[in-house]
Amino acid sequence: MPTSTQTPTSTQVPRQSVIGVVRSPQARRLFPWVLGAVGMLAALGLQSQLFLGQQRTVAAIFMFVALAQAWNLIGGFAGYACFGQVAFFGIGGYFTAVAISHWHLSFWVALPLSGVVAALFATVIGIPLLRLKGHYFAIATLGVAEGMREVVTNLPDLTGGGAGITIPTVGDQATTAYLGNDGFYLLFLALAVLAVVVGGLVARNKFGYALRAIHQDEDAAAAMGINTTRMKVLTFALSGFITGLVGATYAFQQVTIFPERLFDVNITVLMIIMVIIGGAGTVLGPLLGAVALQFLSEFLRENFTDLHTFILGAIIIVAVILLPQGAVNYMREARRTKEFSLLANVRKYRL
Amino acid sequence: MSAVPVLETRGLGRNFGGLRAVSDVSFSVPEGQVLGVIGPNGAGKSTFINLVTGHIKPSEGRVLIDGKDLTGARPWVIAKAGVARTFQIVKPFRGMSVRENVAVGILYGPQGTNVMSRALKDADEVLEEVGMAGVGDRPPGELSVADARRLEFAKALALRPRLLLLDEVMAGLRHTEIEPSLELIRSLKARGITIIVVEHVMKAILAVSDQVLVLSQGKILTSGDPQEVLRDPRVIEAYLGHRYAKRREGDS
Repeated sequence: MPTSTQTPTSTQVPRQSVIGVVRSPQARRLFPWVLGAVGMLAALGLQSQLFLGQQRTVAAIFMFVALAQAWNLIGGFAGYACFGQVAFFGIGGYFTAVAISHWHLSFWVALPLSGVVAALFATVIGIPLLRLKGHYFAIATLGVAEGMREVVTNLPDLTGGGAGITIPTVGDQATTAYLGNDGFYLLFLALAVLAVVVGGLVARNKFGYALRAIHQDEDAAAAMGINTTRMKVLTFALSGFITGLVGATYAFQQVTIFPERLFDVNITVLMIIMVIIGGAGTVLGPLLGAVALQFLSEFLRENFTDLHTFILGAIIIVAVILLPQGAVNYMREARRTKEFSLLANVRKYRL
Repeated sequence: MSAVPVLETRGLGRNFGGLRAVSDVSFSVPEGQVLGVIGPNGAGKSTFINLVTGHIKPSEGRVLIDGKDLTGARPWVIAKAGVARTFQIVKPFRGMSVRENVAVGILYGPQGTNVMSRALKDADEVLEEVGMAGVGDRPPGELSVADARRLEFAKALALRPRLLLLDEVMAGLRHTEIEPSLELIRSLKARGITIIVVEHVMKAILAVSDQVLVLSQGKILTSGDPQEVLRDPRVIEAYLGHRYAKRREGDS
């Protein structure tokens, strides 16, 4: 341990005020919520300033904020790196598409049901799969997502198969009027807010402590009275619920959906990268990660048409090397230990 | 004081493949007693603790806690029944402060609470009790060996247990660091907590135990009064080999 100063006996360590500003504990507890509310109002205000195309881009950022937050619950807090998260996204999307076009449900009914169906699916696969750890869990969930894509492709009567399915948005088959750019902007914003609030509540409550304990050591967590199996399955279901809602909204926005798009492994990978770069197991991390990565991706796409994925990939690699624990976790540690050197950080976390 | 022992095992055993790690362990610990468990490396001491706390399921026999059959129950069920344990290899929750580590036990223990602020306040009390006041804000990775062991102790105490199983909480400590741990065990005993101490430090076992149980090759070798047990030639043989035991016998 190169940086930490060891104290051989437990002596009193004076508590240092990190920022130097005296704040009451209550104010400190409320601060993130106030910040969140300001951010939400800013997002609402921003809407009127955007062109149509920009509105879609920002809506996509909101979508990824919600997805990254959802992945962070199971992958960040509980430490179960799910590589099949897109399965819940696809299930939510396809459930909504089928519910509207075959069963003529309103989108507003199909939306919450999609979340519930995705959560049920997460529960059913979670009970056996959450017994696996590390790489095994990652591979098993990846397999589930790939399998689901094949299942959906091979049910053409219900899902339209590889040819896709179109949600009726005009004429008498339409159950709910298309929401348009404005509507989807607001809906994705609402989902992002929901996901951030859920993340914030989890982080600060008893539940979050159980998940972090499970992340570090399941045996020790169980010895403290935590029902680890129940906690993990609940978390997986909650994560699946939010992801399902987002998938449902995405499907309605796209109107026509295909298995390759709705079960695209890249969506899972993006969620994971956003969480890792921002800081897994924090609320701010996935939020910042999603905004930064989507923004950067769009910026590069506009300015370096040919090379944008190459440059984006390089930036991600450098970011992960310099900040393996994510930006938010790095800042927290740096502020506590007063050690801001990135080189020292690399050394501390290298394998 | 009830007549029902806090912990009773009947013919408890566990096989790992062909290896009988623990077999036919039957004994009971009355309320308020300190039981010392000793035995050479590989005698099955840790397996025994894991069997009682549900971390390993027994192949045979029964575990009764307060007279209730909890054989094969999951670890959190056992914890909720008032049984707390420490781990031989310390298992702190990294990424949480020392205070939060202890708060987990208060939140999820038998008397669990949902109030975060209260759990954190109670955690400070537990830390003070084990002599760790003032380090609550630090990450467990920065603790000294002695404090890391003490944190294990504090996490177990956070459950407010009726039965406490200590798996080598004094291993690797200096003599000056052992004394506070012994003092703590005595004060917990005075509060009526039943304690099982698994330890290699013989001096520590002698200092606190009412009864000693000697395990060897997974079986009970002998049990009883600490001083008598340590004079038992079979115990000396188990620890130091039969040649040494023979020589000692010849001497006396």
